[in-house]
Amino acid sequence: MSKVLAAIDNSVAARPVLSAAIAVAELLGVEVEAVHASEDGYRTAVAAAEAAGVPFRVTETPGLLGLIEAAEGSEVTQVVLGARATRDGPRPAGHVALMLARSVRKPLVVVPPDVPLPVRLHRILVPLDGTRATADTLAATVRLACRSKLDVVALHVHEPAALPLFSDQPQHEFEDWAREFLCRYCPHPELVRLETRVGVVGEHVLDVARGVGADMIALGWSQQLDAGRAAVVREVLAGSSTPVLLVPIGAGLEPGRGAQPDVGHERAA
Amino acid sequence: MSGTHVLNVDGQLAARPSGPGHLHLLLNRGSEVFAVSRGGPEVVERRVATEDEDEALNEAARLTVDRLRAHGLPAELVSQRLNRRKIDLIPEPEWADPPKARMAELLTAVEARLRRSGFASLTDVAAVTLAAAREAGLSDPRITSDVKHVEIGLTDKSDSARWIMRHLLLDGIAPHDVLIAGDEFGRVGGQQGSDSLLLVPQVAGATAASVGVEPGGVPEGVIALGGGPRRFAALLDDQVRRRRRGELPLRNADPEWIVTVEGFDRTLERAHETLLTLADGRIGTGGAPLVGNSATSPRVLAAGVYDDEGAESHLLACPNWARLGEEADPAGPLLRTLDLRTGLLFEEAGSRLRSVRFSSLARPGTVALRIEENDGPRLERSPLLLPPPRRQVRTGESAGRRWMSVAGKHGGVVAAAAERVRGAKPRRTERFAAYESDPANRPDPARAVAGLRAAEDAGFEQLLREHRRTFGRLWDGADVRIEGDPELQRDVRFALSHLMASVGESGETALGARGVSGAGYRGHVFWDTDVFVLPFLAATRPAGARTLLEYRVRRLSAARAAARALGRSGARFPWESARTGRDATPSHAHLRTGEVIPIRTGELEEHIVADVAWAAACYLDWTGDEEFQRGPGRELLVETARYWASRIRVDGDGRGHIDRVIGPDEYHEAVDDNAFTNVMARWNLRRAAVLAGGEDAERASWLHLADGLIDGYDEQSGIYEQFAGFFRLEPLVIEEVAPRRPVAADLLLGPERVRASQVVKQADVLMLHHLVPDEVAPGSLAPNLAFYEPRTAHGSSLSPGIHASLFARAGMLEQAVDALRLTSRIDLDDLTETTASGLHLAAMGSVWQALAFGFAGLRPQGDALCVDPRLPEAWHSLEVRVRFRGARIIVRIEPGSVVLTSDAPVRVLVGPARAPVTVSSSGSVRVTREEMRWEEVES
Repeated sequence: MSKVLAAIDNSVAARPVLSAAIAVAELLGVEVEAVHASEDGYRTAVAAAEAAGVPFRVTETPGLLGLIEAAEGSEVTQVVLGARATRDGPRPAGHVALMLARSVRKPLVVVPPDVPLPVRLHRILVPLDGTRATADTLAATVRLACRSKLDVVALHVHEPAALPLFSDQPQHEFEDWAREFLCRYCPHPELVRLETRVGVVGEHVLDVARGVGADMIALGWSQQLDAGRAAVVREVLAGSSTPVLLVPIGAGLEPGRGAQPDVGHERAA
Repeated sequence: MSGTHVLNVDGQLAARPSGPGHLHLLLNRGSEVFAVSRGGPEVVERRVATEDEDEALNEAARLTVDRLRAHGLPAELVSQRLNRRKIDLIPEPEWADPPKARMAELLTAVEARLRRSGFASLTDVAAVTLAAAREAGLSDPRITSDVKHVEIGLTDKSDSARWIMRHLLLDGIAPHDVLIAGDEFGRVGGQQGSDSLLLVPQVAGATAASVGVEPGGVPEGVIALGGGPRRFAALLDDQVRRRRRGELPLRNADPEWIVTVEGFDRTLERAHETLLTLADGRIGTGGAPLVGNSATSPRVLAAGVYDDEGAESHLLACPNWARLGEEADPAGPLLRTLDLRTGLLFEEAGSRLRSVRFSSLARPGTVALRIEENDGPRLERSPLLLPPPRRQVRTGESAGRRWMSVAGKHGGVVAAAAERVRGAKPRRTERFAAYESDPANRPDPARAVAGLRAAEDAGFEQLLREHRRTFGRLWDGADVRIEGDPELQRDVRFALSHLMASVGESGETALGARGVSGAGYRGHVFWDTDVFVLPFLAATRPAGARTLLEYRVRRLSAARAAARALGRSGARFPWESARTGRDATPSHAHLRTGEVIPIRTGELEEHIVADVAWAAACYLDWTGDEEFQRGPGRELLVETARYWASRIRVDGDGRGHIDRVIGPDEYHEAVDDNAFTNVMARWNLRRAAVLAGGEDAERASWLHLADGLIDGYDEQSGIYEQFAGFFRLEPLVIEEVAPRRPVAADLLLGPERVRASQVVKQADVLMLHHLVPDEVAPGSLAPNLAFYEPRTAHGSSLSPGIHASLFARAGMLEQAVDALRLTSRIDLDDLTETTASGLHLAAMGSVWQALAFGFAGLRPQGDALCVDPRLPEAWHSLEVRVRFRGARIIVRIEPGSVVLTSDAPVRVLVGPARAPVTVSSSGSVRVTREEMRWEEVES
């Protein structure tokens, strides 16, 4: 049976994580299971899980390793965990969250501690960088969101070095370009609204998420957090007040397809 | 093709064909062409020697015979046929008429006699003959030998080959469609075989085969079949069988004439479909694969048929005829090839499915498809006509044919289609469809059905033949040849091919910014049509240009009403136009910055009024169409002039101003005295004033207004100020600020910064130097180009092509070629990321203008055509074909010279000094650059 894994600890982040996990599980049509891998007791976590009506277990292996083992379970579709224990905790996210995100090749929802409860998913923001890899990585997310009748807002930010060469008549140009952009990079172009900005991607993702009232931000990423990599993911995790879905390049979201690559639609020329 | 005469050939062949094909006899060693029909052979063309040439031939023959005899070879002059003299090298009874089977024996006998006379081979004899011919005064003698004879002629089979290839090209038949069969390609006795003369450069790509004995082997590239006349007949029979089976025509492989899309790229698929659009001036069909999937976007659009009104009006999507079926995911190989010469789209899905389709230029609205399916799972077929997505359709049957119609708020389109199977293994199917469109009413299905039945009656081969012929003739009058840059050559032809296919020749053509290649820009008509596309047509295909003008002529009343509504006189054409001719410019736009901004071009971009007038004048200058000048052309020029006369504000000093406009540089809005607008208005007033008719007082007032109109020119610097206050803006040179150009500077810097700076979107002042060079100060191109080009972002796809032309005029050829190359790739490389919404026809038009106006320096001046070429070093030659005042002219530019060819007398002014040259009917003149002297080299 497929399930969403809610990784909780004894912090105040547990409730938002459980709430987000329930919302995601409803979307996917799967169960939720809460896991705890702390080495210093788990009564708070148990209470939070019970309050949310979510089954709870403690990982056999303590600590991060235990969480990774749990997340890699074949029945786990995706993992939901807290960004940090407290509002003033580390940015972009706590150590456990970052390590888990880097280690597990599954979609991961990182939930800020101050997200309004209960977590509801009505509108999802999908930043697309105009590459096939990102589009394919997030395609399953968009498909699922559209099927579930969520508002899907795609966002493309033109960085200054990648501005279009031409912009003839703006009253038509955007319409034509946007239609084609969605056709290229979204599975259901007719159901997706496109927002565009010019500038620094991370800043605009947060601004637009706030502006359109997104309940979740979906990002494709390479799971690389070395210096100079994943600047957008870092910035969004650090500043987002909504859950952030991180989908490793090549991993999908649909039940049963958690670890399946979602690329390779194109045949060789 | 034969060296002998018609009585001989026709006596043996006795062919009296009555079918749809043609039989030509090219005889007398290239001097005669006959067309054979039921009534027998009739002369099509005959080269007749002049008296001087005849005398020279006689003298050459006499000299040759004398010299051979002097060596002891008893040669005899045996015939004096048309344009040639034949000398028998072995005038002995035994060898009077040897059969071809004794060729080897004959050769031995001749060579023995030659050796006895001190000649090593026939080559020596040919050398003697050639020397004699030249001595006799023949400039280009043709020496041939069939072993027994040596001949001196004015023509040979190479002339036949050139004639037939030109004739075939006019019919749209390219070398790769040609099979050359002969029996004498290889060398005989040291002399090249007579059929090898057929292998002229013009046949490169053709298949050549020999059925002869060929004792010395065949030249490289010629297939040695042997087998003699029987094999020759078998070859012809095989061709007939293929035709009857309905085989697909061969796919062109000439890289200068094809655009190929290999494989299936989900991301770029829709852009590829646009590149592969087939159009006929009335309807356009995207090049989606016949078997589609979710990434494809099959579409058919009809020119001028819109849905909705005003700014919301958009091209109506039509029923689709070019879909066989669907598959979830594309699988297997896929190759699509658009033949630019013929407008044929070939599609090969491995060995499973091959097809060819076209949209008939000969019968606009008629389309045809031939499919060849081989073994494999049978495709589940879609219906013959598919409704456009999310659109209500009506369907029905008439005279046994299915039809489907769609309707917009006013007009509509109806299509009828049928299919027939021609064979089982492989399964061959032919599909025909006919479209009827009407911008104002729902068309009668019976008309589409009648068109379909006519297409079925004609059959695929006939439709193909007439379509190819129409395209072939268009290319004959409009091709541009660049020797030395094959990639650019192909890209230029890509542009020209689509321009040709986008415009019809009757009624009106409502040519939107993307034509019928896509729904982009909602099909609205801009100055793109008048200023960028029309010149190509005016100079190559006047009837097509006239249909563009007719669109404006039929909307004069709407333009008058627009002027009246503003309290003005004359006609005010709208910035964007659709069915009615009323302004269709949207009121706002989303920017990529996320902002929503008001759009003011509909209110302020008034230079469109003069642009329409300029288009009419451009057509008149190239064609001299007096009827148009007396009628609708005059009306366009006069009514637009009246608008300007009422629009200009005259200040207390008597100076005229045009306040609050947008020039071509749309980064700056509501500016006063935009140089482009003012100078175009001035030109409009002056041009209208010189037309006959009208009131003298009105014409005088126009001239007075024109003379007083501010144009922003500063005599000291030689620079025009783009608009009042432009020089006071932030002196920002975008060339130094932008990471690259072209760039959408409004996005890079933000609209506010751009408005406050000297950043220019596209040629504005410089557009004057391109459109009306006689209206700007002499010598002002260089300083204005130096000032404005570095400040130009080229953020409009209309900009680089015009700059290519201007760079060329200024002699900056490297920049000119770069800009031209960029323009030619706008759609091929999807540089705008909007090619999926249609081709950038204006940019394509600017490609032609850069070549014709910029590099070739063509420009009408009264009844003369100016030619002032600039040839880049990397190009070996540039050839531009135009029609000027009814004459078909070929301008061939080579390093240091120009060759002018015309089919009618024409006056040409060459070079910056305008050296006058008269080209006579069917004559050629070469003009050399040094001292601009000219010498006639052929007539």
